[in-house]
Amino acid sequence: MVGVLEIKDLHKSFDATKVINGFSLAVTEMTLQCLVGPNGAGKTTTIDLISGRQKPTSGEITFREENITGLSEHEIARRGIGRKFQVPAVFRELTVRQNLEVAYNRETSAVRNMFSFKPDGCAKRLEEIAADVGLTERLGIKAGTLSHGETQWLEIGMVLMQDPAMLLLDEPVAGMTEHEMDKTVEILNRLKKTNTIIVVEHDMGFVRRIADVVTVMHMGSLLAQGSIADIEKDERVREVYLGTEDDEESVH
Amino acid sequence: MDFTLASFVNALILGLSIGSIFLVAALGLTIIYGTAGVINMAHGEFIMLGAYASYTLQNYLGVPFFLCIPLSFVVVALIGLVIERLLIRYLYDRPLDTLLATWGVSLVLMQGVRLIFGSDPKYIQMPSFLSTNIAAGPISVSIFRVFIFLVGIGLVAAVWWLFYKTEFGIKLRAVTQNKEMAASFGINSGQVYALTFALGAGLAGIAGSLFGVLNIVLPTMGMGYVVEAFLIVVTGGGALLGSILASGVTGEAQSIFAYIFNDTFAQFLVFVLIVIFLRFRPQGLIATGGARR
Amino acid sequence: MEKNLYHNRLLQWLVYVVFFAALAVIPLVMDDAFLLNQLATYGVYGMLALSISLCWGFGGILNLGQGIAFGLGAYGMAMTMQMQTQDPEYSPIPPFMLNNGLDALPAIWEPFWNTGFGIALALIVPTVFYLIFGGLMFQARVAGPFFAIMTLAILSALATLFVDLQPYTNGVNGISPPAALDIGGFVIDPYMSTSYWVVFALLVLSTVAAKLLTQSRFGLIVQALHNDSERVRFLGYNVAIYETLVYAASGLIAAIAGCCFAFLTQYVSPAQFDVGFSISMVIWAAIGGRNSLLWAIIGAFLVQGAQSYVGDEFLNSWILILGFSFILIVRFLPGGLGGLAETLLGMVSRKRETQESLTVGAGEPETRGA
Repeated sequence: MVGVLEIKDLHKSFDATKVINGFSLAVTEMTLQCLVGPNGAGKTTTIDLISGRQKPTSGEITFREENITGLSEHEIARRGIGRKFQVPAVFRELTVRQNLEVAYNRETSAVRNMFSFKPDGCAKRLEEIAADVGLTERLGIKAGTLSHGETQWLEIGMVLMQDPAMLLLDEPVAGMTEHEMDKTVEILNRLKKTNTIIVVEHDMGFVRRIADVVTVMHMGSLLAQGSIADIEKDERVREVYLGTEDDEESVH
Repeated sequence: MDFTLASFVNALILGLSIGSIFLVAALGLTIIYGTAGVINMAHGEFIMLGAYASYTLQNYLGVPFFLCIPLSFVVVALIGLVIERLLIRYLYDRPLDTLLATWGVSLVLMQGVRLIFGSDPKYIQMPSFLSTNIAAGPISVSIFRVFIFLVGIGLVAAVWWLFYKTEFGIKLRAVTQNKEMAASFGINSGQVYALTFALGAGLAGIAGSLFGVLNIVLPTMGMGYVVEAFLIVVTGGGALLGSILASGVTGEAQSIFAYIFNDTFAQFLVFVLIVIFLRFRPQGLIATGGARR
Repeated sequence: MEKNLYHNRLLQWLVYVVFFAALAVIPLVMDDAFLLNQLATYGVYGMLALSISLCWGFGGILNLGQGIAFGLGAYGMAMTMQMQTQDPEYSPIPPFMLNNGLDALPAIWEPFWNTGFGIALALIVPTVFYLIFGGLMFQARVAGPFFAIMTLAILSALATLFVDLQPYTNGVNGISPPAALDIGGFVIDPYMSTSYWVVFALLVLSTVAAKLLTQSRFGLIVQALHNDSERVRFLGYNVAIYETLVYAASGLIAAIAGCCFAFLTQYVSPAQFDVGFSISMVIWAAIGGRNSLLWAIIGAFLVQGAQSYVGDEFLNSWILILGFSFILIVRFLPGGLGGLAETLLGMVSRKRETQESLTVGAGEPETRGA
């Protein structure tokens, strides 16, 4: 099967350190693929490479049959890849509403935006998404005053405003309460019917509830891939990942 | 233009001399920027203060020139320390505001000196043997320029020793690498920053006592140096080695362009080339890793 | 909360109207031509502070070299005015060029025969310069203090260049066109109220244009990238273009100010590229309040007004005081006087709000926003 996103033999080194070492991946349309692995496995770097924050040392990234390797961040974003950061990055000095308006990026031309005072069609979508992520009553306040969980929601909302073909979510439930996590699970399970999603996550309990496919990374390359059941049976995965974090997992 | 090998060699030697002047001017700035990330716009005025310190010591107290140089270091380092404690230390996490505040400091220093010493030029006397030229055939160099060159080498060596061979240097590099981690090892980063700032200011003081001989001493003399010194730091990338290379290259470039065209146009050309250079290598000649821009 | 009256858009526009109405009354009640000329010069300073506020306060791009556009604009206008007094037949070459040994008009001066073309060049050249320089720097992601220093470097390079090109620019002596600007029969005499009105109109125009720019979608995105430029990239916006355009827009306003300065003083020299003068513009905006276009203009009026009130005699102590107040503002009041007004109004509005909510009960009026 041809993937919407295909990564072929990706390498990335910082000075002498190889962070990504021959990683390949194919993501099928309308699936939610979780990227797991121990700390330092190269998960966030992979997201950085796909979204253009970093340039690979070698290898190729194809999105919708177009080679996007080496394109800059905004060019990749314009091709329909939306991204959420590990440490939620919102515009703290702007209101929640303004944050969502900025994320509504149908028109990115600076010159045309100079003469635009009302983003067309944005208002309705904005209300829907604000309701989706539970921020309707917060639209008027500055994003800097939101709680941590709410900030996570806002950034997810911003990615949704982009209406991307593919979402890259780096630890979307970090710092969320149990209740907030339930809601995220619900939203992601709804979204994956219409979107392709990659989620980087530590919490296997959360992964179990959302993942169609789980990809395990170890030391910058692919260790195993399959359904959550396959992965949990895999001996190698147990060794490098689950084994070491068993104690932590039993807490959940 | 009549090109002769001798005049071209002269231009190259002059370039080396210009480079060493740039380096002496930029050394203190490099240290302050490289360690604390502070853009000190008052650096030129620290140079000016060094010149006035030497002038005062020499004219009113009769201190010999060679003693004026280290004493200028002490005087300006103390002034720098006071400014750091009173103002700069509150602004370490606001780089743009540091730039502006230090610009305010430079205004105050310049105006304060003008009120005390007046706007008329002052002169620093140097021992007569420094004012002669060495000549080798058609090539001739002023001894004072050779002296600045040697002082430049001496200062670089001293700074290098301080950074890599002393305990203060270890602390300083630790703080530069990671402030929080250094703190957890019991290093007082505030103290390190303060001393570094004083050191940088003191080095500017030495530069001032030399430049005061090379040119006349005026309250506004610092203005010209600060932009050039900053270009050296930015082109070099913020590290000591970068600044050495950058001052060598720009000094030679300036001298060669001046040889082909004239002084002012040479300066213009060098500035434009630096802008173009930064377009393709914004991290400077020697990247210092944790890019601050 | 958007309850702060300071953030009320309607009220902001109202304050603008009152402010400019007050400026419009001045020439009606004053007939001192010299003073009016000086006030018009303040208008030029106001435009410069406005341009700094747009670039720095709003766009987050500290620009220490605004004299680049100001000087280029002023030279363009002075060259146009100079050529108006030359005759193609009998005296095609300005006198200073003859003194500098030129026997033909340099090609670079030819376009300035035509007044319209000359003024257009006075505005286009600096703007294009900003587009190219800004484009180079912002694409290389040179930002913050580094960009500020590069602007400073270019400014001092230009100053040396204009001194150096003595035959073309008359070096340090500068150009002093012998007659007032004449646009198709409309003469802008610097010592008549017309010149005040022209400057006033241009100040209003650039302020309104700048204000609209900040309220457009472009403005929203610039605000976002002022907050976190890295994040904006991942939303699909080309940050370098946005930064370049804000920088160039502020350059255009400074170029207009330069043109006004040239016809008001009938004189232009490399002093317009002086580093100290460009820094003063930043000081005006900082003292008035960099985050507000209007407060930046007020800052320019206050500082320059106070300076001329103090007079040349005490200029030295005045600059000392200015330096100290600048340090204090940066250290303790980064928002300047405008920031102070914002805080005070915020306190008043909050007090009123709590009173309202006590009597009416808490609603959700702020969701409609500003």
